Amino acid sequence: MTKGIAKENQIVDKVKEVIGKSVLEIEIPRPRRIFILIDKKAFGKATHYLTKKMRFSHVSTITGVDVGKEIEVIYHLNRGGTIELSLKVRVAKDKPVLPTIIDLIPGATLYEREVHDLLGVTFEGHPDLSPIILPEGWPPDVYPLRKEWTLKKVQKRIMKGGKQ
Amino acid sequence: MSYPTIRIPFGPQHPFHIEPEYFMFEVDGERVVSVKPRIGYVHRGIEKAIEDRTFIQNLYLIERICGICSHAHTTCYTQAIEEILGVEIPPRARFIRTIIAELERIHNHYLWLGLAAHEIGFETLFMYTWRDREIVMDLLELLSGNRVHYAMNTLGGVRRDITPEIVEKIRKGLDALEERMRYYKKIAMTEPTISKRANGIGILKPKDALALCAVGPTLRASGIKRDVRADDPYIAYSEIPFNVITYDRCDVISRLFVRCDEVFESVNIIRYAMEHLPEGKIRIKVPRRVPEGEAVSRVEAPRGELIHYAKTNGTTKPERYKVRSPTLGNIPSLCKMLVGGYIADIPIVIAGIDPCFSCTDRMAFVNVNNNKQWILSGEELRRYAIKWYRKE
Repeated sequence: MTKGIAKENQIVDKVKEVIGKSVLEIEIPRPRRIFILIDKKAFGKATHYLTKKMRFSHVSTITGVDVGKEIEVIYHLNRGGTIELSLKVRVAKDKPVLPTIIDLIPGATLYEREVHDLLGVTFEGHPDLSPIILPEGWPPDVYPLRKEWTLKKVQKRIMKGGKQ
Repeated sequence: MSYPTIRIPFGPQHPFHIEPEYFMFEVDGERVVSVKPRIGYVHRGIEKAIEDRTFIQNLYLIERICGICSHAHTTCYTQAIEEILGVEIPPRARFIRTIIAELERIHNHYLWLGLAAHEIGFETLFMYTWRDREIVMDLLELLSGNRVHYAMNTLGGVRRDITPEIVEKIRKGLDALEERMRYYKKIAMTEPTISKRANGIGILKPKDALALCAVGPTLRASGIKRDVRADDPYIAYSEIPFNVITYDRCDVISRLFVRCDEVFESVNIIRYAMEHLPEGKIRIKVPRRVPEGEAVSRVEAPRGELIHYAKTNGTTKPERYKVRSPTLGNIPSLCKMLVGGYIADIPIVIAGIDPCFSCTDRMAFVNVNNNKQWILSGEELRRYAIKWYRKE
């Protein structure tokens, strides 16, 4: 499955050139798929470079994954409909803050709100992070997609009307 | 300005399917000034539920994400899991998946045409298209045993084979569907009822469509040639020739023509696939335990780009599963289209992106001059729109 990934390698090399040591992990599992894990410090530089210089201007979606003590936020960026680059960045669970990317890609607004609702990541600079998915009156400290919130625990909390 | 409080006791979790949806419109007279969407009323927590089920059980759950593009969702799911497993499904299975996917697209576009006609008060067209939609529903039932939720996909291939008798029947059905769609396209081009309600309505410029990350027919109707089937080929699309349809008028009529033409393309794809159907097995056995890994899977659902992200941890259940349906991707563009338009155009513009809504939708209006608020249901708004256009 490693044939025909010259373009992907080129992209990865350029990203490495720009943000250097902040690239923590790279994987090209098959043609048209790239996964890059970067350090949070280089996040602003990486997103700016990818969206403005590399034409990864379409965001397919943003995924949040609970990986233990941290939350991994994955930006699924797309170039010209073909290459899907998943840019991963990890933030601490007790202080999950990232700068917004809606100034670079306006279409990301709902996806950021979605991650904010379900995993509690705050996107600095987003004009409106009000709930988009969860109902009004949802307990503010319950982030359903975090692993510590098992179905049973969430249910119990909701039965109590959201009170502790 | 704040949302009127509507409380719907709904289970926790994830967004994804967007049926009842809420928009807050700010209007000045008949003009829409701003739009604020609020989704999540049918949020069923499927992403959380997926983490709690085995890969086989998830097939059934994911099939039920959407009643219309159920095959697109399972195709996306099986692809992601098969990629992590490192298995390649038999060519015959790939072709059968493609045939079902295209029949589903025809089904969806016929359904949409009927709904769009209903929104502008053209009930005759609505009845006609839904009558003809039965042809494709019957074909899908013949193939899979079900009218919706075809349950054809399984990990490692498909469940049912196509026999030569079925191929013959599909061929006949396709001829009828193609001929009828040609007729509807002619109507759409000549009928004043349609041109008055759809020409120049709900404009989405290519620049905005790209910036707001629009997908599917909505994007292609703004003149941008982007289709996952062509750009990022999956199942059998790399082996089948077809055209990506675009129109550049950026309005509702453009979205209508894109869908009409896509039906013709789908018909040709199915014909080609049936002619070149490879021999062999339709599925292979795959292990129940999936090794650690991750995959991003993309599919061109009838409504646009569908993306799933899967992360596995070596057990029989996924670690994390993320789904983004095309409608969510089109909501920012929809808001853009609505701003500056008339209230009476809201139903057809919303219908234009082919969203998954249910009839329980409610919309609140705020008049900017006197801050008065009133709420209309979808049906009331539709009647209002038809009456408003009749007055002219």
